[in-house]
Amino acid sequence: MRVTYNWLKQYIDLNDTSPNELAQIMTKGGLEVETIEKQAYATNLIIGKVLSCVKHPNSDHLHICQVDIGDQQIQIVCGAPNVQVGQKVIVALPGCILPAGEIKAGKVRGEESNGMICALFELGVDKKQLSEEQLAGIEVLDENAPVGNRDVLAYLHLDDTIYDVSLTPNRADCMSMWALAKDVGALLNKKVILPDYSYTCPKKESTLHIKSETPKCSYFAGTIVNNLTIKQSPQWLIDALHAAGIKSINNVVDISNFVMLETGQPLHFYDLAKIPAREITVKTGLHEEYTALDGQKHQVLEDDIMITTEGKAIGYAGIMGGDDSKIDENTQGIIIEAAHFNGLNVRNTSRRLSLLTEAATRFSKGIDPQAAIKATERSIELLLKLADAKNVEQTVVFSNEEYNQTVIQSKVSKINKLLGTEFKYDDVFAVYERLDFAPKKIDDDTIETTIPSYRTDIKVYNDLAEEVIRVLGYENIVSTLPKMPTTQAHYSECGKEERIISSMLLGYGFNEVITYSLVSAEKNAENIFSIGTPVRIANAMGEDRRYYRTGLLPSMLDVISYNTNRGHNEYSLFEFANVYSDDGNDSIHLSLAMSKQSTVSKWQKIVEINDFYRLKGIILNILAKFGYDEKRVSFQKPKQENNILHPNKSAEIYLGRTLIGVMGHSHPQTEVKYNIDECILAELDIKRIFNEKPAKVKFVPINKYPSVKYDLALLVEEKITAEQIINTVKKAAGNLLSNVEIFDIYRGKGIMSGYKSVAISVIYRSNEKTLTEKDIAPVHSKVLDSLSRNLNATLRE
Amino acid sequence: MSQNWEMLKKEFAQRIAEANNLQGIETIRVELLGKKGRIASIMSEMQNIAKEEKKNFGMAVNELKQTTEQLLKVRIAQLKEIEMQKKIAEDTIDITLPAAKLKYGTLHPLTIVQREIEDIFIGMGYAIETGPEVELDYYNFEKANIPADHPARDMQDTFYVDNNRLLRTQTTAIQMRVLEKEHDHLPIKVICPGKVYRKDDDDATHSHQFVQIEGLVVGENITMADLKGTLELLARSMFGKDREIRLRQSYFPFTEPSLEIDVSCHICGGKGCPTCKQTGWIEILGAGMVHPHVLEMAGIDSEKYSGFALGVGVERVAMLKYGIDDIRNFYSNNIEFLDNYKRFE
Repeated sequence: MRVTYNWLKQYIDLNDTSPNELAQIMTKGGLEVETIEKQAYATNLIIGKVLSCVKHPNSDHLHICQVDIGDQQIQIVCGAPNVQVGQKVIVALPGCILPAGEIKAGKVRGEESNGMICALFELGVDKKQLSEEQLAGIEVLDENAPVGNRDVLAYLHLDDTIYDVSLTPNRADCMSMWALAKDVGALLNKKVILPDYSYTCPKKESTLHIKSETPKCSYFAGTIVNNLTIKQSPQWLIDALHAAGIKSINNVVDISNFVMLETGQPLHFYDLAKIPAREITVKTGLHEEYTALDGQKHQVLEDDIMITTEGKAIGYAGIMGGDDSKIDENTQGIIIEAAHFNGLNVRNTSRRLSLLTEAATRFSKGIDPQAAIKATERSIELLLKLADAKNVEQTVVFSNEEYNQTVIQSKVSKINKLLGTEFKYDDVFAVYERLDFAPKKIDDDTIETTIPSYRTDIKVYNDLAEEVIRVLGYENIVSTLPKMPTTQAHYSECGKEERIISSMLLGYGFNEVITYSLVSAEKNAENIFSIGTPVRIANAMGEDRRYYRTGLLPSMLDVISYNTNRGHNEYSLFEFANVYSDDGNDSIHLSLAMSKQSTVSKWQKIVEINDFYRLKGIILNILAKFGYDEKRVSFQKPKQENNILHPNKSAEIYLGRTLIGVMGHSHPQTEVKYNIDECILAELDIKRIFNEKPAKVKFVPINKYPSVKYDLALLVEEKITAEQIINTVKKAAGNLLSNVEIFDIYRGKGIMSGYKSVAISVIYRSNEKTLTEKDIAPVHSKVLDSLSRNLNATLRE
Repeated sequence: MSQNWEMLKKEFAQRIAEANNLQGIETIRVELLGKKGRIASIMSEMQNIAKEEKKNFGMAVNELKQTTEQLLKVRIAQLKEIEMQKKIAEDTIDITLPAAKLKYGTLHPLTIVQREIEDIFIGMGYAIETGPEVELDYYNFEKANIPADHPARDMQDTFYVDNNRLLRTQTTAIQMRVLEKEHDHLPIKVICPGKVYRKDDDDATHSHQFVQIEGLVVGENITMADLKGTLELLARSMFGKDREIRLRQSYFPFTEPSLEIDVSCHICGGKGCPTCKQTGWIEILGAGMVHPHVLEMAGIDSEKYSGFALGVGVERVAMLKYGIDDIRNFYSNNIEFLDNYKRFE
């Protein structure tokens, strides 16, 4: 919302409040001034008269002008096509600062030039407010313009300050300059004097028929005004509209816009001659095509509120009228429309049609229910004064709504209790007076207020508390902290676990990443550890953000690809994120990725190789940290192949019988697709892990007896897994076994193809005595026997 | 035959002193003390000596032997020490060569800021609560005093799934769930962090996904002064103990009165600089007293209880704190960017 300082100045004495101070006061009071803009930026201007104008000898478009600036005459080279002898012009003297830079005296193609003759846009005037003529050349001033006058911006009425006020949705009332002025007056504690619009004329009986056939229009005031003269608006009106960012059209159209700015009530003026039936009916439920003033043909939908005459649409109610009833230079009589249209319908229609007009914005945000008559009267007054209107008819009102004044009784003590303040009764009473809330004393603590119609946001006593504190100032609140029973802090679900896991991962050198949750259908389909059917966004911004992802690895691959492209090809990354399925499942996933290489010391040529087993170790450590012992975790060949993980170098991870994740080396296809090197990836379901019962930490007595170690080299077929060997030993050795470890795997010379040599250490130990050869021999032979029988393993010499 | 014992002692001592390495001294040891060495050979003369002189001779030889052994021992120790010193002197490294790269990972800057804020509140007894990102319209809007035709829905363009479900646009949705769950277990003292989504085109200052943290306190006699005190504490914990705050009137459907909070600029201290756009203040928080209607909707007696809510954008805080100029940095995850956030602050 554009608000100008000069406009407010007409209503409020601002002599001791500078434009910048005013902006600060408004901002603190909730009328946030986002930007402060001058209407024009220029210093050191002067009004001059062109005495002579000859063609520049070295140019086909430049002119050399002698310009009278009052006390002297200067030569200026001017490039504008419209410069002529006798014109009064704006001269920027050397030293003048314009938006484009500083003006300097100098030579233009060999001819001296001591300034510049200016166009308005060169002074920083918004180009949208200028005619094509004004954009094409220098500004030619009125012939009475005072030569030598140095206060050129004031002379041009371009010395205003314009605030861009960002209004919160509850303060739509301030889209009316009058209501805004009232609020500013209250903040400044100054009297506000609004224009008097009681000037009027005798009115004839109306010949107009108004009707609404839809509950979406509950009020419509129509007034016929005759014998108008269409002409240019007076300068003050043009200036006021310009400052507010609205282009001047003619006196009548300008009045409708101006009164809307003043009162906040959107108005529409119809050309009376183009509505011969003198009948207006508001309808919804039309199905037809319609062309509005913007020249675009649109399909009318059921919920669009339409203005019709003789059954024919003539405008989108509250948004834009039609070409066939608009005011033109031949208009002699008009119908003034001041109505209430349902804000939601207006908002939906205007958004659909991309017609975000000033009227539509006001209806969408809500208007003063009492402004229609005020706006009609003000329009009539201005039409009488500025358009020589005669024969004004009485206003015809269709209404099926009733206005009830909001009356609230509030206790000063209660307001103080909410705010934590100690305001006196009189302080609070004075605030209500400043806001025109008509305060009335009920008792020593209670004040009754009657809320003005435009303050539709004031409904309950909390609203009044806000008025009190914003007017009196937040600095009156002395900070305290809540005094209440002690509460116990705790982390969110899995929050503490996430913190512990991430600090472990930091220790292993992992960087945390955060990626977008929304992905394309194709990207989501790549997931290999998915929570289910993805949630689809109905109104996505584009197909690449259509779905809420059901897993994290595809996003992780994007991060790897992004970094690889930028030469960062050694990485360890992790991400925690929520995942959701369309049928209501949710979980927290953790994705992990490691590049295959990690250089520890370049000059020493120490490079760590990350592989399946390293990531497996990290995952086991994480699980062990939370009481899920390695014994409960198994890594199994994936049941289904996928395109992300290498089929022979990947695993499904089980905790007991619960699938908690997947891991493995990248699939060569993925490496090609993402243009990355081989890496190791994993994705875990954190919630599933913590749903499993962890083991308690238990004291284990320290064994004081020595252990006995037997090393064996076993020749087995390739297909025999490490797990099979270990489990066979465990089963055969029974409780004398302390540990069994694989310490070497050998293939090659001396080993026939299809076989491998697996070297293991079998360690026996008892916690009751020192084991002797006699104790171990039968157990160990059982182990050897079992290995031979079950795995067809032979001992290598 | 008599020996000049003193001469011999002198000679031996000199021989021992002359040895300048362990090999040399071993040779001398053999020459003097070996089986066929000098002392052995002197010993062998014993048989030719007159009986009455034998005792003296024997004593003198023994003394010579002992002295020699002692000298050798000392010299060997000396030479060992010399040898070690020499070895140490030769064994040297360039301590300025680069260290091994023992990678220590980094938390994402958004996580760092989020945890910092969480920890401030945990210290004050707040519980952390989370909620679903795929949320019901009911919690995101209805319960937060934003019915379907409310103009505030214009402020936040929403990703809808269907008529009931959406991606939450504000962590207020979590607060509404907490109010519903805990309305008969007052007081409530929680903070609710989480990802939220709005239909914004991504550019330097907008992101369709971002992180919010909201706080909620509901109990008896909770005042706006309590809110102001809490906001001050938060601002000073995040941006330094000298920070001041300034409250401005604002609007949120679920709070009344509502506030916008500016913090005095942590870069210039309030004098004016590009970060604060020359105003000395940085807008950083939204807050307010919980709207009585919101309390009533949750089944809480608004005559008896009151509360405050506050919200902060994690990206905004991180951008201000670290001077990050483009919000997209957080989501592109360039390792060079991530590696900046190693330090604890």
